Amino acid sequence: MPKTAMHRAFPVLNRRQLLAGAAGVSAAAMLPVKAWAQEGRLNIRVYTEPDDFDPVDASGFGEALLYGAIYRNLIQYESGDEWSYRLDLAESIEQTSDTTIEFTLKEGQMWSDGYGEITAEDVAFTFERILDPEMNSRILPDVGTLSRVEVTGRYSGVFHFDEAFAPFWWIALPYLAGTIVCKAAIEDAGGRITTEVPPTVSGPYRVRELRPGERWVLERNEDYTGDIPAEYERLDIVYIGDEASAEIALEAGDLDFTEVSPGSVTRLQSNPPAGTAMSMHPSLFYVWVGMNMEHPKLQDIRVRQALQYAINVNAIIEAAWYGVAEPSTGIIAPGLIGNRPESLIPPQGDPQRARELLAEAGVENLQVTLNVLNDVTFTTAAQVMQATMAQAGIQLNIEVHESGSFWTLGVEADGDRWRDLEMIMNRFSMLPDPSYATAWFVTEQIGDWNWERFSDEEFDRLHREAGTETDDARRDEMYRRAQDIMEESGAYRFITHGVTPNLFYNNTVPGTRPDGLPLAQYFRRA
Amino acid sequence: MIQYTIQRVALALGIVFVAISALYGVMIALPGDPTSVLLGPRATPDMRALFREQMGLDDPLAVQILNFWGRVLSGDLGTDFFRNRPVAVAVMSALPHTVALVFGAIFWSATLGILLGAFSADRRNSLLDRVTGVISVAFIAAPSFVVALYSLLLFSVTLRWFPSIGAGEPGDLLSRIQHLVLPSLAIGLAWVGYVARIVRASMLEAMGESYIRTARAFGLPRRRVVYNYALRVAILPAVQVLGVGIGGMLSSAVFAEIVFSRPGIGTLIYTSVSDRNYPVVMGAMLVAIGFFVTCALIADLINAALDPRHRKTQ
Repeated sequence: MPKTAMHRAFPVLNRRQLLAGAAGVSAAAMLPVKAWAQEGRLNIRVYTEPDDFDPVDASGFGEALLYGAIYRNLIQYESGDEWSYRLDLAESIEQTSDTTIEFTLKEGQMWSDGYGEITAEDVAFTFERILDPEMNSRILPDVGTLSRVEVTGRYSGVFHFDEAFAPFWWIALPYLAGTIVCKAAIEDAGGRITTEVPPTVSGPYRVRELRPGERWVLERNEDYTGDIPAEYERLDIVYIGDEASAEIALEAGDLDFTEVSPGSVTRLQSNPPAGTAMSMHPSLFYVWVGMNMEHPKLQDIRVRQALQYAINVNAIIEAAWYGVAEPSTGIIAPGLIGNRPESLIPPQGDPQRARELLAEAGVENLQVTLNVLNDVTFTTAAQVMQATMAQAGIQLNIEVHESGSFWTLGVEADGDRWRDLEMIMNRFSMLPDPSYATAWFVTEQIGDWNWERFSDEEFDRLHREAGTETDDARRDEMYRRAQDIMEESGAYRFITHGVTPNLFYNNTVPGTRPDGLPLAQYFRRA
Repeated sequence: MIQYTIQRVALALGIVFVAISALYGVMIALPGDPTSVLLGPRATPDMRALFREQMGLDDPLAVQILNFWGRVLSGDLGTDFFRNRPVAVAVMSALPHTVALVFGAIFWSATLGILLGAFSADRRNSLLDRVTGVISVAFIAAPSFVVALYSLLLFSVTLRWFPSIGAGEPGDLLSRIQHLVLPSLAIGLAWVGYVARIVRASMLEAMGESYIRTARAFGLPRRRVVYNYALRVAILPAVQVLGVGIGGMLSSAVFAEIVFSRPGIGTLIYTSVSDRNYPVVMGAMLVAIGFFVTCALIADLINAALDPRHRKTQ
């Protein structure tokens, strides 16, 4: 055969060479993975990817986990089963009046990489850039009525508020907004941290490398001066969106800690992977079924109440949460101020009462549409609802949406879909202050996040006043009443707060918030 | 050949333009507001308005598409407002992972497929040929997600030979290869079957050609005739199929990257579509479509170079 272009296009390999090459590559790849595993390394899974290293742009839990490891706050959430906080940068901090909080920093707390000591100037700078309209900070609402931070000394200062703002202690100081940044480093960076790694850190770990879409590689911060030093030489925050993939990764030894799905709990408890343990935590999230009060089908309160009674919460939890969660009594979870001991309508519902209410309203053959996220938990819950509501003579149609579509269903700025919205099964995240829950259901949220278009003057007043009330007992009473009003409106059927099951290896003592979300800086070897 | 190349390149550019413009239109038409996703529930109307203005979402669709192409032609893919970085940086950091994955799949398809096909043709109608045929069809029939899950359970969980997630340590080639084996196998296995069947059929056809008979008549060893002469001709259709198959492999890469939690264009597009992160979706789609069209173009040109009849029939 003559030499043709084909010879130039393909290298001339004989069969033995080809086989040898393939075998060599395969053999090299089959060397045991664990030979490369490093001692003193911890891999924690996060289900949402942190956006960046600048707290002013922070938006959620991914950043909270990362910032907890690399930055410091005046106070930090404590790891454990009850919500509490510990002093971190603050030597002392106290509410000195309804509108002032005074703090004093510990001396000798250092920024890494030669940025010097952490001072009250840094604290003031941190909060003032959040307040700065030019920064367009996503976490501005977390600081509430904060007006300014006064620096009274190198280590001391005063937070000034326009009016009392009780949630500041729970949703700002120990969380994203309270993440203290280095004034000098931010100014050097031109006002925002947009670099691959932050120029300076203060927490027990520092950023070695960012691998977008995969992991954040942290290492011990040798310049750390706090009292919870890094336990591990290397800490990887691994982004895995899918829970099933995360479970497999943990079983394969590629993760040390992950949240698992409720559906896996029974299997993992009865047949746990070798060397692992599981912990269960009550979640703060709240799941509910909402009814659009302005929709023609649902304007009659008796129809809405009939739907409330037709929903069997116990059956939903048994099927969709595999019986490992508890029915909720409202939007505020147990352990928080404002949690109600029980709901007005029993969890199991009452199909007969639902029929009576529909008859009183003169409605026959009611058909309603429930909108749910394309998540197996919610679609399962919807199917259970469909079956149990049929017992009350109600035909439930289910519409499933992908997340981008679902999360704007009731948003007026995104078109007219809110007009046709009838019922929604929804889940909101939560922080350990009740105001964070009631905030979405006030009248001014109609068209944004109040998709039920629920409006009640007393509720709005309670939300407003409870946010400025500093007496815990009084706040507790106000938030309970607020949830009564929500349920009495017929627009809400509270389902559950869910549960956070965590799976981890026995050689690790996880540090978690009471709701089970990890606090990377507290993880220790067993 | 030059005229043919120009025609094919022009057609490829046209395909990229039409595909991207159509995708842009579809994406904007989808319900879902990026400002809600990005800024979260606590965003004020002013913050949302500012963000929409920054992203150019208030402009008419045609203006948005023209602006997009204007930026692309000036070498700017836009800004990822979710993470305050240029889209080009996001795309270029993801692209090598996907390219490696696709070429890993091609490696499996080509080496195993050609070996199986040649082996099968060489032992035509034998028991081994039949077994190989069954295996090839089984590979074709096995869905990628089943291959991925079972390979994870077997090789990662049970045997712990290969890692289950990630793309490996930067700078460590062995780690990179280890992390590539299972996802590329999941994508490439079905193509092993296709390639094997194509190579077998082509080889049988080639072995009936007169030049093969001549070679045999001259007393050349059978193996040399089969593997040196017949196989070289028989793998041409496989090259063409793999070139076109890169599109399918790219689609499978989306799934494989999610299951194996690998960074890559697929993961980037998937998360960006969910977030309605339009600039990143468009930048990533432009690169993905461009990659596919380029591979198909190269396969076409190689075929045309090797076989002049190919360019005459276009």
